[in-house]
Amino acid sequence: MTTTEDIPQITDLDSLDGAIARLVADNSVLHLSQSEAEERSGYQAPTADGMGERMIMNMGPQHPSTHGVLRIVLELEGEVIIRSKPIIGYLHTGMEKTGEELSYLQGPTNVTRMDYASPLFTELAFALAVEQLLGIEVPERARWIRMLMCEANRISSHMLFMATNGMDLGAVSMMLYGWREREEVLRFLELVTGLRMNHNYIRPGGVAADLPDGWKGSLQRAIDPLPERLDEFDILMTGQPIWRERLQGVGVITAEECLTLGVTGPILRSTGYAWDLRKDMPYLHYDELDFDVLVGSYGDCFDRYAIRLNEIRESIGMIRQIVDRMPGGDYKIQDKKVTPPPRARIDESMEALIHHFKIFTEGFKVPAGETYAAVESPRGELGVYIVSDGSARPHRMHVRAPSFINLQSMPHMMRNSLLADTVAIVSSVDPIMGEVDR
Amino acid sequence: MAGKSGSRVPGTLKGLALTFKTAMQTMFPKRGIKTLIPAPSIGAMTVQYPHEADLPTPRARGVISLKEDNCTSCMLCARECPDWCIYIEGHKTLAPPRRAGGKPRSVNKLDRFDIDYSLCMYCGICVEVCPFEALFWTPEYEYSEARIADLLHDKSRLGEWFQTVPDFQPYESGSEAKVEKVPR
Ligand code: SF4
Ligand code: SF4
Repeated sequence: MTTTEDIPQITDLDSLDGAIARLVADNSVLHLSQSEAEERSGYQAPTADGMGERMIMNMGPQHPSTHGVLRIVLELEGEVIIRSKPIIGYLHTGMEKTGEELSYLQGPTNVTRMDYASPLFTELAFALAVEQLLGIEVPERARWIRMLMCEANRISSHMLFMATNGMDLGAVSMMLYGWREREEVLRFLELVTGLRMNHNYIRPGGVAADLPDGWKGSLQRAIDPLPERLDEFDILMTGQPIWRERLQGVGVITAEECLTLGVTGPILRSTGYAWDLRKDMPYLHYDELDFDVLVGSYGDCFDRYAIRLNEIRESIGMIRQIVDRMPGGDYKIQDKKVTPPPRARIDESMEALIHHFKIFTEGFKVPAGETYAAVESPRGELGVYIVSDGSARPHRMHVRAPSFINLQSMPHMMRNSLLADTVAIVSSVDPIMGEVDR
Repeated sequence: MAGKSGSRVPGTLKGLALTFKTAMQTMFPKRGIKTLIPAPSIGAMTVQYPHEADLPTPRARGVISLKEDNCTSCMLCARECPDWCIYIEGHKTLAPPRRAGGKPRSVNKLDRFDIDYSLCMYCGICVEVCPFEALFWTPEYEYSEARIADLLHDKSRLGEWFQTVPDFQPYESGSEAKVEKVPR
């Protein structure tokens, strides 16, 4: 594992052209309609023009390692994958479209359901986009609370990855340990937001509620045992010869290929390309924190695993810094346009009551325009693009979901790998299907 | 890098030893003379649910409770609920005057206040928008039902849950009013 320095950055666009040509020549994506697939399903004898025995096989949508309902159609030659195609849409609920019907006040509760393993990041991206359109600055404390919650959420999301990655590859006790650690972090999130997931906590204008009494203690209970436990993970997985043999050299992808496909997050970093929005396009106060962007060097499943494991360590360090620097003050903006009046005033003044009704029935109006705000979620660049027509509801909302975009790198990673490696590769992409289908 | 097959053994053994150690700590958490009495329910990280109750945090959004007397059937909560799972019906009626000799007041009386918990997504918007302190979160969570239709709870059930509302922690600026208004 090396850090940002002394890694060559790709500045030459021609190298990307080369990657595009390579990806096309690779022919790793199976273009096959449903009827063709049915026709050709099962065993196909070798043909005269040199094709060997082929078989079309469906993996999923209910395969335990597909993290939800992902179906992968594989074209196999013996046990080697020739081409493959991920089929998505099983979890499609039209959330982006629903977002056009919900006001900006109701919006966070909708977007938080997309990536259910790291819900706070979608809320954050949505809130940042709306705030950009409104042209408001949220108070200092709200920003630091947002960072604190997001880093805690990153830990819980990566712990989920540790658990499922271990389970997929047969390290079953790892599954239990990963979930055990995640649960402690979720307990902290529940203390602050009231729910374990789908929090509806980060809102345009700040956060929903201030940190409660005793949050530091609860956070410490969740965070303090982690470094020791992570060392245990190192024994259980990183240092395991079996583990390394299952992952090293499997699902290799290069930085150029990642960039041409738009792949971000740990997959891109595993290729040695240090791209982390927290460092490269800092939002909130990430530029004031001291942390390293971790990169790998081989672009294989093992690097992706190791990066996520060590990102947990980085996040712990960041949380410690945030706790030390947590400023006082307001946790949401006091702006008559955006914030409802304080509770106490509703009883005292009719005006406040009318204001309260008005802001909730009509919602707050957002100036016409369009904007894009992106954050670094545990899976990559998570962006929210909002077009406003000046009303209280987005005219169009689009989410750049990292899982969705990372998923398209899968056929390239799986080309010429063994069937048994599929599980390792799917798991290392770490797709959350709710976010893929939206 | 994958070493020669001879070097695999120590790593594997270390992993097994760690799993074994953790399992032993879970099975035999007791110290001293009782060391060898298995007590997995103490050593486990999980809460042994039907035997011991999990303690949710005071902020936990378990279920929404209703203080019926405070509700004016203004419909704000039903309107703002993102998936329209609150059903309200009411009528106007006359209430005794506040002061002796005054005129009777016209008030809204609730006929129906149902929340469909099979649809509710626990976003908390209804509780936040209620301007008259009629809705409260409570951490209660034991209300599973065998049939999904039974998750539609009416105002008497919501009123029962009101007894379990915890004292509010300071919540937002000016929240003191809300704290006082958990009427108990
Ligand atoms: S919590 Fe949300 S979904 Fe549930 S009743 Fe209230 S507003 Fe509706
Ligand atoms: S917002 Fe409050 S007062 Fe109005 S109908 Fe709902 S519960 Fe009753």
